[in-house]
Amino acid sequence: MAAIEARQLSKRFGAVTAVDGLSFQVAAGTVTGFLGANGAGKTTTLRMLLGLVRPDSGQAVIWGQRYAGLGERRRKVGAVLEASGLHPGRTVRDHLRVRCAAAGIARPRIDAVLGATGLGGLAGRRAGSLSLGERQRLGLAAALLGDPEVLILDEPGNGLDPAGVAWLRGLLRGLAGEGRTVLVSSHLLAEVAQTSSQVIVIDRGRLIFSGPVSQLTAATGQAVVVRTPRAAELSAALAASGAAVRELAGDRLEITGAGTEQAATLAAARGLPVFEISEQAASLEDAFLTLTATQGRPG
Amino acid sequence: MNRQLHAEFLKLRTTRTAIGLAGLAVAVTALIATLESATAGTRQAMAIPSLATSAGLRDALASTGFALIAAAVLGTMITSGEFRHKTATGTYLDQPGRGRVLAAKAIAAAVAGALLGLAAAATATAIGLGFAVARGYPLTLPAATIARYGAGATIGAGLLAAAGAGAGSLIRHQAAVIIAVFAWAFAVELIVGGTATAVAPYLPYTAAAMMAGVTSGGGMPPIPSAVIPLAPPGGAGVLAGAAVLLAAVAAATTVRRDIT
Repeated sequence: MAAIEARQLSKRFGAVTAVDGLSFQVAAGTVTGFLGANGAGKTTTLRMLLGLVRPDSGQAVIWGQRYAGLGERRRKVGAVLEASGLHPGRTVRDHLRVRCAAAGIARPRIDAVLGATGLGGLAGRRAGSLSLGERQRLGLAAALLGDPEVLILDEPGNGLDPAGVAWLRGLLRGLAGEGRTVLVSSHLLAEVAQTSSQVIVIDRGRLIFSGPVSQLTAATGQAVVVRTPRAAELSAALAASGAAVRELAGDRLEITGAGTEQAATLAAARGLPVFEISEQAASLEDAFLTLTATQGRPG
Repeated sequence: MNRQLHAEFLKLRTTRTAIGLAGLAVAVTALIATLESATAGTRQAMAIPSLATSAGLRDALASTGFALIAAAVLGTMITSGEFRHKTATGTYLDQPGRGRVLAAKAIAAAVAGALLGLAAAATATAIGLGFAVARGYPLTLPAATIARYGAGATIGAGLLAAAGAGAGSLIRHQAAVIIAVFAWAFAVELIVGGTATAVAPYLPYTAAAMMAGVTSGGGMPPIPSAVIPLAPPGGAGVLAGAAVLLAAVAAATTVRRDIT
């Protein structure tokens, strides 16, 4: 059984279609990146999964049930949706006490999650004095209170400094190592590439890709980068042979549609010196931008 | 439901909102009770009758009009605060049953409002009786009547707070709903109560004020003398009905809205 499943989900807000017949599955025990441009419908989809937004049609289920129907739901699902959802006058520890009380979670978990999120020293601080990054950590701490099997995280890296991003990466890897299911939306595509094995890409509320990260980057193809002091001549020769060429800084050319052998042979045939030639795998960012551009939206 | 109630009481105890508002209500009540008691029987403008009379002593003991409104405001803040601080998302993740959340909030508001009303009534009673005793006046009100005013302020404040919780669910914008509460008390009830005295006892603030023995205002506009109070159970019924009606309307409309 899929841990998380969207079945033909649709949602309109007035004249705007936020989510349009979206279906996907998230396999148990995977970390899945949920990608899309601003306004693509990611947050609305996550909120429909969690019962906060009512779909116009379709179903969103976790372990085969609607969120509201899950028994002991906070032990099954933890979620971070917005870092600003804190009463500014309540301390970090009291915020977690309230969440424990509402979810029926034993208080000893509070110290455990404070330690796991690096907030142990801030337990007595009022939420209003926390930085955005600290608020994100507190949101994660609240999500982890129930030691949940499934985590749904909406932009958890927002506001984190580089050290915080590295910490989040480690946390997500740790959660994956424990066999938990994580669905994480993020704009930090490099981070998603490092932490997720699967990726779901949506655009204007519709699914445009679902599968392994490696499949997405492979589909985008590899590029060959050549450095030559006679870049213009080699560029013309490659273009004439049908390859697509993009001029980069430092006398370098990025070539798609031709491999290293073809590019090197062409250069040698014309007596063009080549100082460097290498294959470059497409990054998740390249793949994402290519995919969303193909769908008609600028990156 | 028990978990949600526990969480709602914990929310009240872990911020300064409830205690701050209760402190303000008690301070204003003390100020009004002191001013009214000090000037009682002087025939100055707005002065209440002498504390040696039952009417004067009642007005001094029932200086809880502002506290009743403060209780209603507290109720609105308990529900609208979830949207002001965007904590509604976490609340509904913990308890997706929105009706249950609203019910728990209304109960928590009623308890907090009642405590606020009790503190204000105790303050006004202590000050009014203190002035009367210090001046050597006989107590012209029986103990049962004094207790009834205190109980009326306590129950009235509790039920107004519960009604406020419903209003705060209906009008989620915190500043707007607080303005609406004051506008209702100062404008709607004053105008309707002044022009249709038969209807006035059925208006929520007036019903609560008359349960508490408030006639001279106690920080709020005076209740017109032509208004005949309902018996305390009737007043409590009016208030409970208002609280249930507001909660039911909210549950059928705004409470069902998407949390975006």
